[in-house]
Amino acid sequence: MWRDTVLVAGKDLRIEVRSRVVMHQVVPVAVLVLVLFAFALGPDRAPMIQAAPGLFWVAVLFASVLAVQRSFALEAPDGARDGLRLSGLDPAGIFLGKTAAVTVQMVILEVVLTAGVVVLYGSHIRSYPSIIVAGLAGTAGLAAAGTLYGALAAGLRVRETLLPFLFLPIAAPVLLAGTRAWQAALGIGAGNTGSAGDPWIRLLLVFAAVYLALGVVIYGPLQEAS
Amino acid sequence: MNYIDAGYAIAFGVLAAYAAVLWRRRQRLERAASRSRGPQAP
Amino acid sequence: MSPTEPAVAPWSPATTWVVRSLGIAAAAALAATIWLGLWVTPPDEVQHNLVRLVYVHPPIAWVALYLAFGVAAVSSVLWLWPRTRSRFWDRLAASAVEVGVVFTALTLITGSIWGRPTWGLWWTWDARLTSTALLLVLLLGYLAVRRVPGDPDSRARRSAVVALVAAVDVPIVHFSVDWWHTLHQGATVLNANLSPTIHGSMAWTLLLGFVAFTLLFAWMLAIRYRVELLSEHLEDSELDVALHERWAEGTGSLPGEPGTALAHSGGPA
Repeated sequence: MWRDTVLVAGKDLRIEVRSRVVMHQVVPVAVLVLVLFAFALGPDRAPMIQAAPGLFWVAVLFASVLAVQRSFALEAPDGARDGLRLSGLDPAGIFLGKTAAVTVQMVILEVVLTAGVVVLYGSHIRSYPSIIVAGLAGTAGLAAAGTLYGALAAGLRVRETLLPFLFLPIAAPVLLAGTRAWQAALGIGAGNTGSAGDPWIRLLLVFAAVYLALGVVIYGPLQEAS
Repeated sequence: MNYIDAGYAIAFGVLAAYAAVLWRRRQRLERAASRSRGPQAP
Repeated sequence: MSPTEPAVAPWSPATTWVVRSLGIAAAAALAATIWLGLWVTPPDEVQHNLVRLVYVHPPIAWVALYLAFGVAAVSSVLWLWPRTRSRFWDRLAASAVEVGVVFTALTLITGSIWGRPTWGLWWTWDARLTSTALLLVLLLGYLAVRRVPGDPDSRARRSAVVALVAAVDVPIVHFSVDWWHTLHQGATVLNANLSPTIHGSMAWTLLLGFVAFTLLFAWMLAIRYRVELLSEHLEDSELDVALHERWAEGTGSLPGEPGTALAHSGGPA
């Protein structure tokens, strides 16, 4: 299973490196979201700083939908999806591989967004470890749940509108927990000390673990539905 | 109309409407099913 | 293309009797609940007449969140599990979800109607309301996935996964929103709890309410299941008829009735 994971992740990432779709299309959109929100909330810094954690995660959420759609669009042409299914690769490995690829792309996006938040909104990061762990855990959870639903919606003609409608409600806990964790890490909100974000980080880790496990189990049967 | 009456009216009204819809759908389908069954009766 | 299956038999007399009894019992119990709830039981000390909604809102919520959703989730798992896989579970899940959508929406509406005069708010983002609202969206997602055209097996798989994910996610959401309120320092934790103190005739009426709505759910589930079963076969036989007609156009003759097992043979039944 792990060998297949590396295989699939490597394939997806190599395609991304060569085509640069996520870097050139998804990341700019996410940054644009931050800029537009500045117009909506500004010109005072205060509301922006207060809202920054939530805005960051909202931007990440929408970008993750795009990233997952892109992940499955890679296999849309020329029956590549069937090819993948028949290739004999372990479905769990395919799931983990695609999830890993999406996670890597999203992490890069988040680094850019974090820089954007610091620069554009004037936020101060108080606790780097919290930010990093929260970001990784949240992203892994989003990627896992998104890949699971992406497989479900892949190949259906209604894919574009169905995936967000299915996936975004599921992602709500990540938005909630991620924002709280970030608030603690940025020192925003009443009485927020550095460790106040810890329960939320734990929730993000549980979410990621649950959806990774669920995907590993369910991806095989799900792939047969097309 | 006060809140209690509104609450009861909406709850039972919607349920009654849904029950009626279900019943009608079922009737129509049963009729179609018996039609397709009919000519094959031994 | 699979050969034509035998047409769906009507319900056996026993089944018809059971379903009919459920329906009558439900109607009677509901009528009794309305009568007791609106007229016979006394008003509450705190909530006055508003307490009468306790005979309607909690039972509907119980049916929506535990009964309907529970049946849908368990059926979906039983369908996904290879050893228990059967079209019965898939149809049952779909039926439970559709009936569940109606009950969940009503849960939110009756809760809102109760909350407005009680706290002055139509809505609040507490754990229960939030996760109920989310459940509604997830159930609608299930119905949307179900509408996507495709073979029944694929559709069943996709729907079952949606139900399973929903079953996993709703508790997570409930838990995290709950946490959100208790961990948020300085916030007034709005006790979005409408539960009044129940005693005497109120207790019996409440119990009757739960029984009445449960019976109603069972009846609706049975009818909806029948509808699902019949419409599946209707799809299949319509497909057979269409194929048969196209085939007949091609060969210029119409040997035998559509719906009999000769779509590929060509002799009479």
